[in-house]
Amino acid sequence: MKFSYNWLQSFFNKKLPVPEKLAELIIGHAFEVEEIKKIGKDYVLDIGVLANRGSDCFSHIGMAREIAVILNYKFQVPVFKLTENKKINVKSLIKVVVENKGGCPRYTARVISDVKIGDSPKWIKENLEACGLRPINNVVDITNYVMLETGQPLHAFDQEKIEGKKIIVRFAEAGEKITTLDEEIYKLNEDVLIIADIKKPIAVAGVKGGKSPEIDEKTKTIVLESANFNPQNVRKSSKIINLKTDASWRFEHGLDQNLAEFAINRAAYLVQEIAKGKVAKGLIDVSAKKSLKKIIRLDLNYVDRLLGVKIPQKQAIDILKRLEFKIKAVKKTVKIIDVEVPAFRLDVLLPEDLIEEIGRIYGYENIPSVFPIAALIPPKRNLDVFWENLSKDILKETGFTEVSNYSFVSRKDAETLKFKDKDLIEIENPMSLEYQYLRPSLIPNLLKNIESNQSNFSDINIYELGKVFKPDKKEKEKRMLSAVIFSQKEKNDLFYQMKGTAEVLLNKLGISNIWNDGYQPTPEDSKSIIWQRGKTAEIKVGNEEIGFLGEISDKVTESFKIKGKVVLFDIDFEKLSKVASEEHEYRPISRFPAAIRDIAVLIPRETRVVEVMNKIETEGGELIRDVDLFDIYEGEELPEGKKNLAFHIIFQSDNKTLSSREVDELQEKIIKVLEKEPQWQVRKQ
Amino acid sequence: MTETNLESLKIEAKKEIENSFDLGQIGEVFRKYLGKQGEIARILRSLDSLPKEKRAEIGKQANDFKNFINLKIEEKIKELKEKSGKGSGGKEWIDITAPGKKPSVGHLHPLTLIRRKTEEIFQTMGFSTIEGPEIESVWYNFDALNIPKDHPARDAWDTFYLKDGMLLRAHTSPVQIRFMEKNNPPFRIIVPGRIFRHEATDPSHEFDFYQLEGLMVGEDISAANFKAVIQEFYRRFFGKPVKIRLIPSFFPFTEPSFQVDMSCVNCSGKGCPACKRTGWLEMMGAGMVHPNVFKYAGLNPKGLTGFAFGMGLDRLAMMKYKINNIRLFHSGDLRFLQQF
Repeated sequence: MKFSYNWLQSFFNKKLPVPEKLAELIIGHAFEVEEIKKIGKDYVLDIGVLANRGSDCFSHIGMAREIAVILNYKFQVPVFKLTENKKINVKSLIKVVVENKGGCPRYTARVISDVKIGDSPKWIKENLEACGLRPINNVVDITNYVMLETGQPLHAFDQEKIEGKKIIVRFAEAGEKITTLDEEIYKLNEDVLIIADIKKPIAVAGVKGGKSPEIDEKTKTIVLESANFNPQNVRKSSKIINLKTDASWRFEHGLDQNLAEFAINRAAYLVQEIAKGKVAKGLIDVSAKKSLKKIIRLDLNYVDRLLGVKIPQKQAIDILKRLEFKIKAVKKTVKIIDVEVPAFRLDVLLPEDLIEEIGRIYGYENIPSVFPIAALIPPKRNLDVFWENLSKDILKETGFTEVSNYSFVSRKDAETLKFKDKDLIEIENPMSLEYQYLRPSLIPNLLKNIESNQSNFSDINIYELGKVFKPDKKEKEKRMLSAVIFSQKEKNDLFYQMKGTAEVLLNKLGISNIWNDGYQPTPEDSKSIIWQRGKTAEIKVGNEEIGFLGEISDKVTESFKIKGKVVLFDIDFEKLSKVASEEHEYRPISRFPAAIRDIAVLIPRETRVVEVMNKIETEGGELIRDVDLFDIYEGEELPEGKKNLAFHIIFQSDNKTLSSREVDELQEKIIKVLEKEPQWQVRKQ
Repeated sequence: MTETNLESLKIEAKKEIENSFDLGQIGEVFRKYLGKQGEIARILRSLDSLPKEKRAEIGKQANDFKNFINLKIEEKIKELKEKSGKGSGGKEWIDITAPGKKPSVGHLHPLTLIRRKTEEIFQTMGFSTIEGPEIESVWYNFDALNIPKDHPARDAWDTFYLKDGMLLRAHTSPVQIRFMEKNNPPFRIIVPGRIFRHEATDPSHEFDFYQLEGLMVGEDISAANFKAVIQEFYRRFFGKPVKIRLIPSFFPFTEPSFQVDMSCVNCSGKGCPACKRTGWLEMMGAGMVHPNVFKYAGLNPKGLTGFAFGMGLDRLAMMKYKINNIRLFHSGDLRFLQQF
């Protein structure tokens, strides 16, 4: 809220510190000051009044009270004397009926006759303008002025335009409409609290006045309204008609009921002085009941304990008194006091609230830094975080860069990858259509990363570890780990690079029983559109499938405008971290030399490497330390439909040196087994 | 030939080797003593005329002499080569100013690096890392944190709602409740994680970003304790002493509530564009845990105190690496990411 420095000064006899200094003190003890601006001879302080202090500090009086406490100055609320005209009785001019007391705990009204509508005096105009309000006419300006001064919103009606001379506070009926002062038409419903005359709504309670009883230059008699509306009702109305005003903002934060009476008298007095009106005798006051006094018992030892500093009892009590709290009882022996909360402090309910008051005025800068004394309990190890960190490090070491994408996808992206509504969680109020759904997979945004980077990089290795979402009762969100390799160059080993990366990752996570199974998608599955047929595998650990590895289909890369091949793995990180292990055992190095023999096998193209390797390993038995495929060749020199595999076979024993005869015999056995297959042919070297 | 002769020959040879300046001179010394016409050859040839025992003795001495000279020459050659700085005759010289061949390595996201650093610092102070769900209920995100229904205070968290009435957590604070439901004090935890706010984006605002929550609860945990812990955190994080100040703030789940400002790390508090000339940077919201929060989490607030805080990890990363646009973090731009 904007505050006028000169206006604040008017509550004090003593000179206030210069605006910058004053702002510093307010920041240190009460509120953030966002800006100080010079306007003419005045300064405007934009102060971020905290949401719990709306009830007393959205007003110059409230802010002056704060300043008085901080500076330890005396401040004076304006003193005025209202003179009522005995000849006119308010009850003969207007009747007020409050149908819903819950929505309107207090309604006060005054009638002023013979007013002369005109321009406001300069000082009112200046104060309004400093605070960002536009002067309209003297009566309307006075209602706004008193709102800025006291925090109580007021409204003025032209009494002659109120049908039946009766004001009714009630909920609107379905279908009722109102045209407001700014000529907007709003449709109302049963949840909107309104002010009505006997025919129609004349204001949306606590939000905005209606056009029909507007004050104009011909207005002679006015009805001033100063009411206390229920904050929740005002908030609801404001939401329903989608209109926020200075008044609704104040009511939403809650107001002291006593304020209504003070403010209406203050406004009536100013109308009398400025617009020369006659104030009718009597105040119409329809109120449910007076609010009860709040008394809080405070243990001053607790103040010291919570703040961590010893504040002298006298000083703590003095602070509360300056804030207009009343100290009801002080027990001499124990440091316990009973504190009565002033009615305007709706925010203070508990001892902790009082401690905050004492602490901030005492000054948080006076609280020392003291390390806590606590039992030496070592922090718990978080395995989820541990496996995440380890996986990220492994991928970094293998040349992958981590990205962090938005958790959202568009309908278009979801549709491109054939995600159905049943796979998607929709946002009720999305940022934009681009972010309409929670991401069901990390893949779409990774593909977008490739698209946006491909003009700068011909090779891209990236990954993301993050949450994906699906409308599943049991597992709405889970972590996935997806890595992608992209190349614009003609490379035919991208798949094997990715497979190798996945194997390094899993091995380093202590997982050894990894294998790949061919993937046969069902056509309606979203996966069937993502992955290229015949170039995709399931990643399995033991019997469990933990993810997929494969080339992204041309159709998908084309729709993401990617110019190159993309190979990706997509691993369920929740499953992965369950099978990951820190157990690791050293395997003794044999003291005896290893012998290496090479073997080349010509086999049909569609025969899998793993079949050949299995045969070699089974036949060689435990004397085979390793079988290493070092070349796969398909080419013109070979017979049609064939490929050539070349292996190093490493023979080694743990308890003796193998003679070359033994090795040759084993090698012969292996060759024989391989040649048993009718279509296989061993090419001896 | 006598022993003394060999001894003095040895001294002379040693001196000559030491005084050599280049390989040529060394060659000459070698030839003089060990060459075909050299001293040793001469001595050995003269042995034929001596008795058998004498022959053996002198022969051994001559051999020792030979070994000695060889060793000295080798040492000298090595020394001369080192002096020339080019290895053997300059043939193995390389241009050490040519660029190195870098192995291809990947990069961690800057937010991962920042998260690890914060976790590490808090871990040394005994804080455990806890995580929680990103899809939350209204109860955990608001009600249990004492954020009243139908109150403008709730407007401070612009929230994304899902069609089924759930929401995307607008802060990491719901994890306070989830943790306290299952654990008894005393405890110290931090909660890093993604949060979501329905806010217009600009260089300093995102709608999907990272927060780090902290909570320490015990029997006598005070605001003074909070000050010490958080000051130590920033000191370690920025690697230099920093000043902090607490200014009054409001959060429904803490009472008293603070905004924590830190002396600007750019200008050390003198005032610069980064701190809008105030000398202070707004770092986090914090406060002493509100007794209602203990109640909602199923704990008896009597005798229990604690502090809680929440800070933006993106903001920390921006300050640490002098990044001027928060949207770079989700951009996926490798020109940005490969700098970390």
